[in-house]
Amino acid sequence: MKSIKLAFLLTCLGLATVARAGTIEMTVNGLVCAFCAQGIEKTFRKDPATADVLVSLEHKLVAIETKAGADISDDALRAALKDAGYDIKEIRRSSRGLAAVRAEIREPGA
Amino acid sequence: MNALLGRVACALILTAAPFVSAAAKPIAYAHGTTVMAEYGAGTMNEIQAFYAPSYWYSLGGGHLALESDDGELSRDYTYLRANYLPKHWNLESAQANAFVWGSVGRVRVGELDDDQFAWNVGGQFDYETRQIYASLRTDLYEASAFSHRIDTLQLGYSPRAHDIDTLAVWFVVQARNYTGGLYDGTEVAALVRLFKRNAWIEAGFTQDGKVQAMLMFNF
Repeated sequence: MKSIKLAFLLTCLGLATVARAGTIEMTVNGLVCAFCAQGIEKTFRKDPATADVLVSLEHKLVAIETKAGADISDDALRAALKDAGYDIKEIRRSSRGLAAVRAEIREPGA
Repeated sequence: MNALLGRVACALILTAAPFVSAAAKPIAYAHGTTVMAEYGAGTMNEIQAFYAPSYWYSLGGGHLALESDDGELSRDYTYLRANYLPKHWNLESAQANAFVWGSVGRVRVGELDDDQFAWNVGGQFDYETRQIYASLRTDLYEASAFSHRIDTLQLGYSPRAHDIDTLAVWFVVQARNYTGGLYDGTEVAALVRLFKRNAWIEAGFTQDGKVQAMLMFNF
């Protein structure tokens, strides 16, 4: 009975995590030209899981806010960046919104 | 002069090689379309449009008009072209690309008043950081009436590193060499290059005071 309750609790926690909108932050190599990098935004904005996209050349960063309950797999992220002509160095997921990422870029340490 | 230009270009590119994209490229990104128009001081004028089904190749066509500086030779080449990206390097703060391409088409040879089959092969190596840019491009054009090689070296510097939503401002020096009687010597131009989002414009003057300009759009 205890194990059933625990399983139920974990399932609920998992669902709660999935249901929340999240942000995927990717460190990207070769991100030096805005004219060339527009393919990244174009690609991800077409993805139904994407709510918003942020690209920062200075921070070598591509960040995607996903819609509630949606996610994009690492393989799909790598394939999309490859199609845009870039390579992902690192992928991080967090529950903070893209607004927080934008704020941090404007004011590091904020 | 050709040999000197080649040696200088190789030395510059090899020096920059560990790191180098504000280059005009025939492939933007997968499912992207690139449209370019160049006015090359009256000697070389070209329009091109390419669609890239993948990040490593694109297909399209264009029209190239060549006219010798003495006005005696003229070629109007309309072509279909394939571009291939055999190698690119994504470094932490730089990108480098090696492109090759080939085209076939019909050329109007002005001095003979004749239409002929023509073909072209070419390649480009470019290296770019957010503030430094170098590219070396070469094209060979062949028809029964002529053979021309056009080599173009560009070196660029941006005083301020641009970002995705800011206007990129680059100062570019271009040296271009033509063979086959099109231009005597090396044509040097100083250019200002501006781009933001999907629009690119560059313009300047050659050492003869002629206008050199290019427009490019990605969508």
